[in-house]
Amino acid sequence: MFLTLIRRELLDNLMTFRFAAAVVIMLLLVVANTVVLIKDYEGRLADYNTAVKTHRQELLERKTYSDGMGKITLDRPPNPLSIFNTGLDKRSGNEINVSHAFTPTIWDAKKHEAENSFFNIFTSIDIVLIFQGILSLLALIFAYNAIAGEYEHGTLRLVLSHPVRRGSILFAKYIGAIVCLFVPLLMSLLLMLILLTTSATISLNTDDFLRIGGIVFTSLIYLSLFYLIGMLISAITRRTSTALILSIFVWGFLVLVYPNLILTAVDTAPQTDTKPATYHQVKQMWEEFERKRKQFLRNDAVPGEDWKLSFYTRFNDQPSRLLYYHYPGGDLETIDEKSEPQVPHAQNYHHYLGMLTVNIAERRWLIRKPVFETIYVQPANKARILLKFSPAGLYDAATEAWTGTDLNGTQDFFRAAQRYRQAVVNYLHDEKIFASRQWFSADQGSVDWNTLPQFSFHRSDIAINAKRAVPDLFLLFMMNILLFIAIFLVFVKSEV
Amino acid sequence: MVLENLVKTCSPNQRAGAGCAKERLCQVSADRTARKIKKMVWHITKRELYDHLNSLRFAFTTVLLIGLMIVNAIGYLGEHTAQSTAYQKKVSASLDKMRSNAESLYNLLTEGPGPLYKKPRPLSFCANGGETFIPESAGGVGEGLFMTSSRFSISTTWRMKYPQSNPSLWDLMPDYTNVDWGDIISIALSLIAILFTFDAISSEQERGTLRLTLSNSISRGTVLVSKFLAALITISIPFLIAALINLFLLYTSGSVPLAASEWGRLGVIVFIAFVYVSIFLGLGLLISSRVSSSSTSLTILLLIWVVWVVLLPATIGALTSGLQPTMTHNELTARQQSLASRFFEQYDELWRKTPSREIPATEETLLWSKYLTEDARDNEKLNEEHLNAQIAQVQFSRSITRISPASSVRYAIESLAGTGFTRHVQFLKHVRRYAGEFRTFLTETDRVDPESPHALGPKEGTSQKPVRFESIPKFEDRISFGGAYNAAATDILLLLLFFVVLFAGAFLSFIRVDV
Repeated sequence: MFLTLIRRELLDNLMTFRFAAAVVIMLLLVVANTVVLIKDYEGRLADYNTAVKTHRQELLERKTYSDGMGKITLDRPPNPLSIFNTGLDKRSGNEINVSHAFTPTIWDAKKHEAENSFFNIFTSIDIVLIFQGILSLLALIFAYNAIAGEYEHGTLRLVLSHPVRRGSILFAKYIGAIVCLFVPLLMSLLLMLILLTTSATISLNTDDFLRIGGIVFTSLIYLSLFYLIGMLISAITRRTSTALILSIFVWGFLVLVYPNLILTAVDTAPQTDTKPATYHQVKQMWEEFERKRKQFLRNDAVPGEDWKLSFYTRFNDQPSRLLYYHYPGGDLETIDEKSEPQVPHAQNYHHYLGMLTVNIAERRWLIRKPVFETIYVQPANKARILLKFSPAGLYDAATEAWTGTDLNGTQDFFRAAQRYRQAVVNYLHDEKIFASRQWFSADQGSVDWNTLPQFSFHRSDIAINAKRAVPDLFLLFMMNILLFIAIFLVFVKSEV
Repeated sequence: MVLENLVKTCSPNQRAGAGCAKERLCQVSADRTARKIKKMVWHITKRELYDHLNSLRFAFTTVLLIGLMIVNAIGYLGEHTAQSTAYQKKVSASLDKMRSNAESLYNLLTEGPGPLYKKPRPLSFCANGGETFIPESAGGVGEGLFMTSSRFSISTTWRMKYPQSNPSLWDLMPDYTNVDWGDIISIALSLIAILFTFDAISSEQERGTLRLTLSNSISRGTVLVSKFLAALITISIPFLIAALINLFLLYTSGSVPLAASEWGRLGVIVFIAFVYVSIFLGLGLLISSRVSSSSTSLTILLLIWVVWVVLLPATIGALTSGLQPTMTHNELTARQQSLASRFFEQYDELWRKTPSREIPATEETLLWSKYLTEDARDNEKLNEEHLNAQIAQVQFSRSITRISPASSVRYAIESLAGTGFTRHVQFLKHVRRYAGEFRTFLTETDRVDPESPHALGPKEGTSQKPVRFESIPKFEDRISFGGAYNAAATDILLLLLFFVVLFAGAFLSFIRVDV
């Protein structure tokens, strides 16, 4: 009997105009947008490749270690799954300098030049956004007359005259509709995957396919949630016309209005008031550096700053990023005989200051970190939690976690950059580079940059993606169950 | 349209009858029919109106619109105050820099007028216009030291630079749009218009009431016009109330100065909103009369809406970027480098030539002056060419996105509110004009200084006297309203065209409906 019910529901849904319309519209939208998104990704990938090449070239041109320290630039590769959910992938910085003088963070990142950045005024639409907006609407269009329609036509009375439990009717309806809704979702995804694989520049590995699987699964749960919302409205109102209007308004509120409204209404914009005091603190550290430097020079055998060797000072002062540092270095081509006796002293001097720079950089990070957390990360997290009150926000968050374009995924790169900096600093320590002649002079040959630790970045494992996505997924799932129970209660107690 | 029809149906009688009296009689009867029709239209409109006002959707619409407008007002109040203070601060910092540069004309020549900022518009609550992605300034700045040697040091002359847009890289907030009037009108109002018309004809057909209505001596045109008017009035009531609440909140707060011209432009924006709603009412009536079941009609309408209003404006913009190529980044850097290398190719002897303060200017000084002026001019030209190519590309894409009325309505509101891309282009025009003024000022001030060799560029060739700060032309960002209305007019005409086509379509299809 249960199977008969499901078959009836399936046929009922499949033979409708709305099913055909759903399939056509999903295919159309997904294909059109995939083409745009692939083009965009390819552009970003080309930019990335050029940037990597130029940055490497720039580094290789440096002859001394101190000169190269400002020129180690790491590039963040674009995430191929950003086609599904762009998240922060496109917006946040994609190149970062690594030096012993500061800990690299997302706030120190810069961006490659774009061809025409005015194009950002056209909002970009990713695949998840299409699913989020259109799938939910389709689910509601399928659901609004699921129960109300049967009341109106009187067919419910007919069905219930058979020995069928009400629960199984509900369940059969649910299964039938979800299967029907899954068809356009899967078809559009398949078409999209075909497009993705035909593009030569996009290479997806097994993990990526599993991540896409995660996105499909999340989409299914999201879809079912909206179907259940529609069903609940249908069961409560018992009239198709009312149910339809109510459903559309609920959709408009949850998907279109709430996400924009809540962030406009609740002021979550970053507060930048705490900065001047902290900046002062940072500056004081470097005054201490300067004091110690002068003291060192006083105690040194070659007194004063009157080096015959000409050094320059790398200087960086950016109050908005709480950066203030300088360290001496040089890019001498030759050292004449008169200056030669000074070299050991200079080596001593640079060794002392190099260690001091690293030390202060680490202490300063302890100051910068909490400030950045309160100014940028906490409001962003708060905003994300507020968004999760709408299923659309939950869905967006979960898929971002799968694709790795969320805040965590983007930060992964900068964590890798921090680890890389640590490796570079360790290398400088171990090889005693600060105390070496090559730190400031290339008279005995240029630095071989290939001996420096190499940077490589891999996106996090699928397990980590899954771990990040699970809480939101679980919430979506619980909402499903609660709604189903609510529908069941309403439906069981209702008179036919 | 209805009246004309009736007059036409009357004309055969007129031809049949001969003589003046009969003609007049016919005229009188036509007048009477016209009056009757008017009464009829009003009668049906009233009936529809009562129906709508008592409906669930009306209640929802009211709540939704008022909620959105209140949020817009509250969100904007905070933002506007912050923006205005930030603007004042930046402008005064820029002016302070200029004041200190005024110590010597030469400093002004190398440093330029500094960054010039775009003033926040009071009407930006109507349309934010993607302002976050558009640069807030353009500026005449110096390049700094160009060459030092033991004998002289040369700084380059200032030139105009156009910073690329700078969406904050540090902003980790999730993507969202500040709800502005443009969003409320283009997205919410169009959806509401569809919800009020999707069953206008199909449900009457389903229930059979259409047959009943038409069995009276009422023309179909009358029915259609009445339905249209009723829906328009129903939507305009909550919209106007919500808009008034929004304006009341903004006005009483006192922090948003709304002058008479702003109220005028707000009036035009409201008019545009009505035209835009009418487009979707026309679309709703068209589909509703083509399709016999209201659920199918709604499905079709929603799908059209999603594609036309939500997706097309975004997707088409990005899709068409390839059709109008711009100067690529590599090309730009290559040309910049070739400009820089010109020094070694054409002016190589300058290394050995020292500018001097002799009057009249020596050959060396003049050559330096020539090089520095050319360098600044050509670099500025390149920057401008790059910018113009980018602007042309965006404008091309924008004109294509106008196939969606949602884009047109946004652009029209942006032009009237003085925000967004059109406004940025206008700002750049002002900036360029100002750059010319500033340059002329420098030349003329130098000309009146008897101690200067009048070879602008190197320090030795330029007047070093202090300049009276008050006499330096200052940049003031202003907007020309004529331009705003002109820019909006195209979009308004386009919207009217959409409306006429869709309403005519609805009329034709309703005439042919089988009841």
